[in-house]
Amino acid sequence: MGKIKKRGIFFTFIAITIMAVFILVFAPSADVGLQKDIQSVKVRIASVDGYVGDLKGRYFETILRATTYKAVLSLISYINSTGSFVGDIDSAFYEISLNGTLNGIPIDDLTGKKIMDNNTISNWTKRVAQTAGSTLNVNTTIIVTNISIYQDKPWAVDSSLALSLLVKSNVAEWNDNITITTTMSIEGFHDPYYLVNTNKAYTNRLKRSSIPFDQWNISKVREHLRNGTYVENPRAPSFLMRFSNTISSSGCCGIESLVNPNSISVSDQRESYVDYLFWQHDYNPAANCTKLYNITNPSTGGGLWDEFEYFKLDISHVIDYNITSEDAVGNC
Amino acid sequence: MFKKRGYFFTLDAVLALAVLVIGVFLITAHYINVPQPVQVSLLADDLMGFLSNTKIKDLNNAYAGLGGQLWNEGLITDADNSLLQQIGEFYTANNLDIAEEFIQSVSKDSVPPQFLFEVWINDGIVYPKSPSQEHIRSKNSTSLLLTSKKITFGILNKTTSDVWGPYKAEVFVWER
Repeated sequence: MGKIKKRGIFFTFIAITIMAVFILVFAPSADVGLQKDIQSVKVRIASVDGYVGDLKGRYFETILRATTYKAVLSLISYINSTGSFVGDIDSAFYEISLNGTLNGIPIDDLTGKKIMDNNTISNWTKRVAQTAGSTLNVNTTIIVTNISIYQDKPWAVDSSLALSLLVKSNVAEWNDNITITTTMSIEGFHDPYYLVNTNKAYTNRLKRSSIPFDQWNISKVREHLRNGTYVENPRAPSFLMRFSNTISSSGCCGIESLVNPNSISVSDQRESYVDYLFWQHDYNPAANCTKLYNITNPSTGGGLWDEFEYFKLDISHVIDYNITSEDAVGNC
Repeated sequence: MFKKRGYFFTLDAVLALAVLVIGVFLITAHYINVPQPVQVSLLADDLMGFLSNTKIKDLNNAYAGLGGQLWNEGLITDADNSLLQQIGEFYTANNLDIAEEFIQSVSKDSVPPQFLFEVWINDGIVYPKSPSQEHIRSKNSTSLLLTSKKITFGILNKTTSDVWGPYKAEVFVWER
């Protein structure tokens, strides 16, 4: 009897062991649950990762480009409204781009134009963080560490935006310090140097001359003066230097135009009519008249005085523009 | 006597095994019958990916592509816009009819006919602008409705650098 009981237990034990192994091997629930979790986490991470990629790759670049344009436009409007130059272009640009203020005062109040209203970097970073919160249920923190504007080529300004980005979701966290740069053409903007020096009486929009440096002649200069176009010249100040009246040479980015004597109140002045020299009065002392040339020659009938009377150039620019003695005579 | 009882226990174990095997089979079968959301989910993500990654200039479409009807009418001006950005731009300019037709045209061959979908911008339905009763019924009765979301933004006017957005863009997909 004792033996029979032992064998029964033995068979029952074997059956339970086999079934336990069978259940452990084939039980699907644990496996499916895990896979489902992994799949949903993957999808979630992919969508937030796409958002972070969009922010870094496109969003910041787009808002930096837009804000740069509007900040430069605001600065020109400010100069136009106040008739004064900006002290430090880089710090003014930082403040306007980030907060829409200049020296703590809203720039739109100073210019009377709604340019930066809801268009600052702060506005755009806040807006995207709110949208991401409601769309992807993530917490986005953007801290702007620097915004600057500079030039390394004559016909465009570069701006850069440095920020730290923290995106937190319930499955992962993205943390990065990034710097975005963008380039914007300066063509089409008003030259601030003209606005201040003529008290808005004479405005000139930046437009690049299409004439190559080695093809100048008197008829091309006439066209250049008529159209108010600009050329590169490393002895001239850059576009950004013109905001702060920093009239010195810019090796990389100097540009210049010619002042039309018909557009200023006193047409006949003892100056070189190259814009940055004209209002610097470098040639105004009578002693300097030997370095000036009237771009006319009564004996040949050449020059530009038939259309631009009293137009003068200094010797360097007479050479630059390839003006010969047939079209120019000394001022004294 | 001993042998008979041995058969009894063996038979008992086999029967128990059979009961358990059947039980495990039924449980497994239950899991297998759970609707698989993968295809619909992939379709929602694929459609959103198609809209957000395809640019106007890469689209071969007589209505919405480069040089197409909308381009010639001046309603599309930036060939570098993604389709989603173009939808957002139409939404910003309140061209909702154009947005609906645009989505209809670009999604024609992207969504299999047994599926229905909707495109929403900023919690407002853009496609279809006015859903039919059948569409609404189908959406309400589906057992599996999946969504894919993305943030979209763009430049409205390149000259004045006016930026639109960022908007929440959402695609809903379900089987008829």
